Amino acid sequence: MNDRAQDQILLEVDAISLSFGGVHALTDVSFDIRKGEVRSIIGPNGAGKSSMLNVINGFYHPQQGTITYQGQKRSQMKPHEAARGGIARTFQNIALFRGMSTLDNIMTGRNTQMSKGLFWQALRIGPALREEIENREFVEHVIDFLEIQAIRKTPVGKLPYGLQKRVELGRALAAEPTLLLLDEPMAGMNLEEKEDMSRFILETNEEFGTTIALIEHDMSVVMDISDRVVVLDYGRKIADGTPEEVRANQSVIDAYLGVSHD
Amino acid sequence: MSDSTESLMGTFPQLLKVRLQRDGDRPAMREKAYGIWQTWTLNEFCNEATALAAGLSDLGFQRGETLVIIGDNRPRLYGAMLAVQSLGGIPVPAYQDSVAEEIQYVVEHAEARFIVAENQEQVDKSLEIKEHCPRVEKIIYCDPKGLRKYDPNVVVDIQEVMKRGRNALAKTPDLVDQEIAAGRLSDPAIILYTSGTTGRPKGVVLTHENLVVTAKNANAFDNITADEETLAYLPMAWVGDNAFSFAMGLVAGFCVNCPESSSTVAQNLREIGPTYYFAPPRVFESVLTSVMIRMKDAGPFKQRLFNYFMAVAKRTGVDLMDGKSVPLMDRIKYALGEVLIFGPLKNTLGLGRVRVAYTAGEAIGPEIFDFYRSIGINLKQLYGQTEATVFITMQPDGLVRSESVGTPPPGVELRIEDNGEVLYRSPGVFLEYFKNAEATSETKTDDNWVRTGDAGYIDGEGHLRIIDRAKDVGKLTDSSMFAPKFLENKLKFFPEIKEVVTFGDGRDFVTAFVNIDLDAVGNWAERNNVSYASYQELAAHPQVYQLIQECIEQVNQSLASDAHLSASQIKRFLILHKELDPDDGELTRTRKVRRRIINERYGDLIEALFDGRTRCFVSTEVVFEDGRRGKIEADLEIRDATVHQTTSKAA
Amino acid sequence: MAFDLFLLEVVISGLMTGVMYALVALGFVLIFKASGIFNFAQGVLALFAALALYDFLSEDGWFFSLFGFTLPVWLAIPATAAIMIFLAWIIERSVLRFLVKQDQIILFMATIGLAFVLEGLGDLLFGSDVKPLNIGIPQGASDWALDTFNLYIEKLEIVAAATAAVLVIILAIFFQKTRIGRALRAVADDHQAALSVGVSLDKIWVIVWSVSGIVALVAGIMWGSKSGVQFSLSLIALKALPVLILGGFTSVPGAIVGGLIIGVGEKVAEVYLGPYVGGALENWFAYMLALAFLLFRPQGLFGERIIERV
Repeated sequence: MNDRAQDQILLEVDAISLSFGGVHALTDVSFDIRKGEVRSIIGPNGAGKSSMLNVINGFYHPQQGTITYQGQKRSQMKPHEAARGGIARTFQNIALFRGMSTLDNIMTGRNTQMSKGLFWQALRIGPALREEIENREFVEHVIDFLEIQAIRKTPVGKLPYGLQKRVELGRALAAEPTLLLLDEPMAGMNLEEKEDMSRFILETNEEFGTTIALIEHDMSVVMDISDRVVVLDYGRKIADGTPEEVRANQSVIDAYLGVSHD
Repeated sequence: MSDSTESLMGTFPQLLKVRLQRDGDRPAMREKAYGIWQTWTLNEFCNEATALAAGLSDLGFQRGETLVIIGDNRPRLYGAMLAVQSLGGIPVPAYQDSVAEEIQYVVEHAEARFIVAENQEQVDKSLEIKEHCPRVEKIIYCDPKGLRKYDPNVVVDIQEVMKRGRNALAKTPDLVDQEIAAGRLSDPAIILYTSGTTGRPKGVVLTHENLVVTAKNANAFDNITADEETLAYLPMAWVGDNAFSFAMGLVAGFCVNCPESSSTVAQNLREIGPTYYFAPPRVFESVLTSVMIRMKDAGPFKQRLFNYFMAVAKRTGVDLMDGKSVPLMDRIKYALGEVLIFGPLKNTLGLGRVRVAYTAGEAIGPEIFDFYRSIGINLKQLYGQTEATVFITMQPDGLVRSESVGTPPPGVELRIEDNGEVLYRSPGVFLEYFKNAEATSETKTDDNWVRTGDAGYIDGEGHLRIIDRAKDVGKLTDSSMFAPKFLENKLKFFPEIKEVVTFGDGRDFVTAFVNIDLDAVGNWAERNNVSYASYQELAAHPQVYQLIQECIEQVNQSLASDAHLSASQIKRFLILHKELDPDDGELTRTRKVRRRIINERYGDLIEALFDGRTRCFVSTEVVFEDGRRGKIEADLEIRDATVHQTTSKAA
Repeated sequence: MAFDLFLLEVVISGLMTGVMYALVALGFVLIFKASGIFNFAQGVLALFAALALYDFLSEDGWFFSLFGFTLPVWLAIPATAAIMIFLAWIIERSVLRFLVKQDQIILFMATIGLAFVLEGLGDLLFGSDVKPLNIGIPQGASDWALDTFNLYIEKLEIVAAATAAVLVIILAIFFQKTRIGRALRAVADDHQAALSVGVSLDKIWVIVWSVSGIVALVAGIMWGSKSGVQFSLSLIALKALPVLILGGFTSVPGAIVGGLIIGVGEKVAEVYLGPYVGGALENWFAYMLALAFLLFRPQGLFGERIIERV
């Protein structure tokens, strides 16, 4: 990562507040994500981490605050607009198309890159066929990158958990995202699977320059692969900085100790 | 098709120069990459190899030098082999899943300056090796993924080397051709390191002549032509892959297909549908197991259909394949089974088009062997060694047995020593063990006979039977052969029997200790309402004794028909009260029986087996899982099993 | 010999009717696959399409009275297709959009309501008399089949079968191998995930309903040509139900095979069993068969995923 790229801010959330009924999920949270960095969002359970991601990709609409993405300020957007704007994501509880094959799942990730109309598609001729082939080629590179050739045609519902996570990452990568949101990509994985996943995340960041925002529970992973970390607790930001700074921060230590004593 | 090469002799690069004239546009290699099968025609394959050779030469690679190749089966890696051979060098493939230390020994011993590594994983290992072997200069990789940040002075893209080579060729077009022409048949073509059972691996040096002549003989033996399809999925460092994929492929001109990755082999097998196929017994075994498991999950109708036709196949399939006469009704049923069950089954396994399949390496269970043959797969056994360039004996079509390994193909001579050891002499006999004259002279006699280290005999049909490692074979008092491992393996094919130890060396007859398999016998006990509280109780149950006795008598029956082994029928046995356990030192960690320990611990039991007692008390010290020590005591029953008169004369 | 030929004729006529059932069932499958909604209004959509098409073609329709000319067939069909797409868009805007997060039973109820609205609208706009629909599909028996095989087959039925075959092939490719097809399946599988890859739900609804509207148009043309455009057409929706139970609600090939089985089954049963149980077997045989299937194979013939060969 070069220094110039680091200075550019890709996304800035400013004073976001979100509540459901009377419950405050996020209160006055502000932070930014710089181009090309791996940015982690951590915090105890229920701290509002997933809500934050849902706000960024448009699933939730905050009551207050603004989001500036690629220089454009807005208070809300629709999920498919976020996707078209280059924001791709994975989910905490894997959200794959279970009846579809690995290949088809990843192909759906190309949705935003494909544009040929219904008419051509209905017959799968002419431009639509060319487009289909081009995108299939890209998807094959993703499959190769994630080393999942063996399960190309397997319905994802039949795959073990760790591989499903990998397919989900593949689907997100297929969109060639500018900003990749990963919601606990390593939850429930064994050590080897975690190492593989960390490697894929880092390689994505380094090889393609993709900016990554990551929620993760495994602190050693977070400290290893993040450039900067923001810490949430009860919907508020309590710390923000490099992994070392955050590790040394007293309120972070308290928040985590508090949780462990529950 | 390949008659021009049939009569022609020469090194691999020389043979290919001739074949190129005619077969240049035929597919030579295929590899699945990015979901598509990519083909190298013979022209493309040779062009790449030539460019790579020129590039290597430009990097300073010398005639007679070694180059280590690490990776899965890839056309580029086979190309690297050819490139090295073109320059008169010696490729040394290493097992790709070995850890760095093991490969380091090979690199060090072969004195290699160059390594061709498939991908990042292998490059990482190579770099680790380089730290200990400063001789290593360049590591050339095929797949650039993840390798951007490596030191370009050491780690080089194979494309770069080829580019270098093309530039060099532009200046000196006959750079590589000259080197090819200088090659001689007696030059070493490859060094294959064998993981000997003891000590350091030995580097078996095979010459071009070894490989070319053997490949031609093997092709002729099974009518292998340019129209075969094979899947190269076994390690490149194994002599079998070198013979089947590289040598035989290049000589016969058939296309060699490389799987997409090691995890996609089963799928790729289905896509390619090879006509010529090799797999070790464990592969056939695990495929069969998975078929059986899948059938257990199938609906009851399917299951009944499957069972019915498998019974038909068992009755008639093998006879049909061997061309024996079979009643018309059975023929019709078998044909129906082929349409409904066998055909689809073979297709899903990717074995639908197999014309010849081989297995070797260890004994294959007769049930497994017959299963594949009965559904119409021409599965045969061969017996071979790296030192022989694979082939020592092979089973000719129509003369296939599960218990023997066939006859020597043309050009191979066999001899049996007094102690039962099998010796052979053939055009495939290796040159030497690399830098190990002592081992060479121990194994190879001056007149070129090679000791296999295996004991065996030629049976009534003229087929070789391998029974044991030569050093393990003993003698009964009537001086007939006693091969403990052979007997033990035969018994262990029964699922109920987990471990066996046989005794007989220097005795009048043979006896055995048996360990039952708790899963299999426990399962049987459940079905038969036999209740038990512990292993010991189950093992001592009279009905279990009966069960094991039946197994032993079945083995005796089959031994009786064999003049050489009839005396080895098991006369008395007992079922041990505890499982033999590595924790107690009775087995090695790889579950091989430690005979010395057993003899010490159970001396009284062994005596009881031979002196005619019907019960014997035993008390053994054991180590429990938590580390405590304790004693297990039991009063064991000793049974007599029926022993048959030799029936070989009648048979 | 004569007997065999008769049986063959019965079977073929059953197959042809089956194709017609399958056409209607297809429309159901499409919407069910993409949204999990059982669209009760599918039969009415077919009726509505046939009515609209008739209107464009006939001199007593609205179009003639407004513009003073009728459309030729090759224009009338695309025009009707456009109307069906427009209808789909209206339905999404006015009904589905507000029910997105509701239970499926609510959506099902909505389609029942929709069926009544459309039927009323059809009656209001076009009148309830039986209208002969003639778009130039040759009528009468196929001379070729009669001469060559001595079989009596309606030309219309041959055309219907060919049309259905083409339609199925196009739909299968569309669903399996195109971006929009994948997006449709994606929406059916997981709404949230579909949104995250940039699929717009509103658009997908319109597309699904348009496609099934066009399938309804094809079904409407065939049934209309066979027995005139009449309101009982909406009842064939009920015949499609056993077809779906047989074939599985989510399977395109299932709809076809189910349709064929029901078609052949009821014709054969009518001819050979009818005399013993007192006729009209054709009317309830399909439901009996469906009931039997519900007992023994509730997921339908194709409900289970078939193992894919590479």
